Amino acid sequence: MSIGASFGRLYRGETTVDYYGKRKPAFVVSGSFVLVSIIVLVFGGLNLGIDFKGGVAWEAPATATLDQDAVRDVLEANGIETANAKLQTLQGVEGERIRVQVGDQPDEVRVAVQAALASTAGLEAQDVSVAAVSSSWGRSITLKAIRALLVFFVLVSLYIAWRFEWKMAIAAIAAMAHDVLVSVGVYAIFRFEVTPATVVAFLTILGYSLYDTVVVFDKVRENIDRFATSKMSMGNIVNVSSNQVLARSLNTTLSSALPVISLLVVGSFIMGATNLQEFAIALLVGMLTGTYSSIFVATPLLAVLKNREPKYSSVAGVVAQGAEMAALFEHTTTRAAQKAAAESQVTRESSVLKNTSSNVLTHPPRPRKRRRR
Amino acid sequence: MKRRLLASLIGIVLVAAVALGITVGTGNQPSLGLDLQGGASVTLQPEGNYDAVALDVAVEIIRSRVDSIGVAEPEIIRQGDTVVVNLPGVKDQQRALDIVGRTGDLQLRPVLQSGAFDTSEPSEVPASTETTIPSDTTLPDEGGPGESRGARPMVDTTVPTTDTTVAVTDTSVAATDDGPTDAEPIDATPEDGSAVDSQLPEGSEVLLGRDGFAYLVGPVAATGLVFENNASANIQGSSWSVVVQLRGGAEGENIWNALTSRCFSRDATCPTAQIAIVLDGEVISAPVVQEAIFTGGEVQITGDFTEQDARDLAKILEFGAVPVKFEVSQVQTVSPTLGSDSLRAAIISGLVGLLLVFLVMLAYYRFVAIIVFFGLAVSIGLQFSIITYLSKTNGLALSLSGIAGIIVSIGIAVDSYIVFFERLKDELTSGRTLRNSAQRSFAGAWRTVLAADTVSFLAAAVLWWLTVGSVRGFAFFLGLATLADVVIVWFFTRPAMLLLARSKFMVNRSMLGIKPPRSTEVIA
Repeated sequence: MSIGASFGRLYRGETTVDYYGKRKPAFVVSGSFVLVSIIVLVFGGLNLGIDFKGGVAWEAPATATLDQDAVRDVLEANGIETANAKLQTLQGVEGERIRVQVGDQPDEVRVAVQAALASTAGLEAQDVSVAAVSSSWGRSITLKAIRALLVFFVLVSLYIAWRFEWKMAIAAIAAMAHDVLVSVGVYAIFRFEVTPATVVAFLTILGYSLYDTVVVFDKVRENIDRFATSKMSMGNIVNVSSNQVLARSLNTTLSSALPVISLLVVGSFIMGATNLQEFAIALLVGMLTGTYSSIFVATPLLAVLKNREPKYSSVAGVVAQGAEMAALFEHTTTRAAQKAAAESQVTRESSVLKNTSSNVLTHPPRPRKRRRR
Repeated sequence: MKRRLLASLIGIVLVAAVALGITVGTGNQPSLGLDLQGGASVTLQPEGNYDAVALDVAVEIIRSRVDSIGVAEPEIIRQGDTVVVNLPGVKDQQRALDIVGRTGDLQLRPVLQSGAFDTSEPSEVPASTETTIPSDTTLPDEGGPGESRGARPMVDTTVPTTDTTVAVTDTSVAATDDGPTDAEPIDATPEDGSAVDSQLPEGSEVLLGRDGFAYLVGPVAATGLVFENNASANIQGSSWSVVVQLRGGAEGENIWNALTSRCFSRDATCPTAQIAIVLDGEVISAPVVQEAIFTGGEVQITGDFTEQDARDLAKILEFGAVPVKFEVSQVQTVSPTLGSDSLRAAIISGLVGLLLVFLVMLAYYRFVAIIVFFGLAVSIGLQFSIITYLSKTNGLALSLSGIAGIIVSIGIAVDSYIVFFERLKDELTSGRTLRNSAQRSFAGAWRTVLAADTVSFLAAAVLWWLTVGSVRGFAFFLGLATLADVVIVWFFTRPAMLLLARSKFMVNRSMLGIKPPRSTEVIA
């Protein structure tokens, strides 16, 4: 099939990918990602910035008289171990900047180093940026963030359970946990520094992941209602739903990711705003996993959960493929669906599934029932 | 129906245009956080025992101190028990941090000597004068148990050039209500401070007064904790006075009375009978003690106050009595160049991102993307006005994490259109008319958008309530953008799309690449 043709099918929402059938490999892949993340987190830990473990960071423009060695000299003159100091040279619009981070220091040392760096660079003290955080503060904001997270989990679960159903809440939370674990895992593996901006990014990922999942689940619920009277397997329902929202998912991901990519490329690489870079990387990873998980983790998981219900357990194994699946889509009066129906009649033995699908086929789109609000 | 849609469409565009017009017309701009314009920020965390009232008052102290620094738009935020002080654009960052970070005890110290301080003199050691007040004038209900700066004799001191051992003091005594005062010259060696210091009790120092006098004060005898938090300024006849209640028992009255009886008897540790009220190393007032024991538990300070003086003093007595100690838990200073670099990078990458998104929409949805474009424009106009308004009224500052929140919200805003258009495509493919499809698909999309935006808003709200610092700034802007999205979808996208679907323009045109069926309804 040519790229143009598959794009056309994607555009019309007529792709027929059997996501439900691929759930096992998807779960294995996701599971191993999560497992690797947990292992790295437990054994390697995160590269926490000064905001979480306490410490002081100075950032000064690099001048002819101020390079990394000069910075080291300044630190040593003020009695700071340079072995543990973290020095970075950052690229900015107005030349390079040097950033140095050390552990917790008394106020006097902080001020003295700032002044010394400024005088070495031949600048005024206020041209050197300083950030100092006490370690107890770092702990308290971490705790606050975790508390916020737990409250958020509970509230969102309640909301989804009320708006949709509790099985969807479980699947959505699982997908969200997956996204966050994988994103945090990427940070742990590549030893990116975790700053408050990163935490913001992780929290945004939660939001995105849920947002994405809610959009897909909304479609799933709509399809559950639509097939309420026919004996349709859950696998079919999630496949149809996922395929129907595929174009939307890809589009949304693209249009969400573009500003972030722009933040990463234009903002941090070209213009050197490195504090944007950390944020953008975390976001990008999270958005990609968010889109992936809403289709490959949340929805199949929902199907697995729902299959335990008596209504769906009898048809659990029945999953339509290819053209048959296309026939289950809403716009069944199109020629694609009619062709599919004809084909399936010719090529396949009659089955429970075919009967149900042709039941749906023979009717023109019936007006939707008013749904409960 | 059609009229309603049109009204909604025109309404929202007008609101956005007027809001933006006013904002731009008045030249207002959102104030920038210190990470975007440079400045200093301190995060203070209370230590030990404190209560909510004490914290409120502590925030007030910090605010008055910050005001004294003269920063353009200081931002003092209470986040739970934590107090964040942002000083964007402050010039002398270190001094500002020192002033804010000071613990700020109110001290009561006996005055050993006091005198005019002549700033033209290089030496800061004052020539001094002693005031004596007859004890029989102490009737609290008449003159009050104290007097302050205005009532103190004016002293004109010239440091002699020939004889440095004896200060020749030319004192012109100002008459006071309380009775005669006399000033006599005291040995002072202005050029040789060590000679003076050696005779003084440990802990003595020279402090400047608000009135321009210099005071040589003894060690701290009491703190502001002896007072209750209820100081008030009152007017009695034509003069203002300050009344404050003493705390009972060992913490308050006992300490206070020990000090006053010492001063009243003018022993060596308090020869002037004056008690200096010292805040942050500055003598605010130095009233003369006129009663040995304050039995009523009430202290009244009278003097030649203006209303403002009296109110200030009352505020200081009240604030100084607050038992909150702060630990400086986070200090951040950002250089102005670094700040403007970040701002430019954020704005440019935001615009580039927006442009890219629009191009994708244009390529995918063709001319319908024009609705996305105008929707985003209206949304940006509204949000910009709201942000500017809030930053003028509530001191909201746009920070880097806030800008990140806004950039992230572009995705959420565009997604609403995508959800809508994808549904519309589904409906059109099933062979419905454009007009019908637009209505049906909006109903479906609206549910999805509401559900998804609720989750997003829930996230923003929880983060805003429960976190501090940059995460909170991010949450605010994310929440605002989510609300804006809901408003825009209902008041702009809905009428725009429904009207477009009914318009003559669409009669024989295909929308989203799907040809309308031949038998189109006739459009009235």
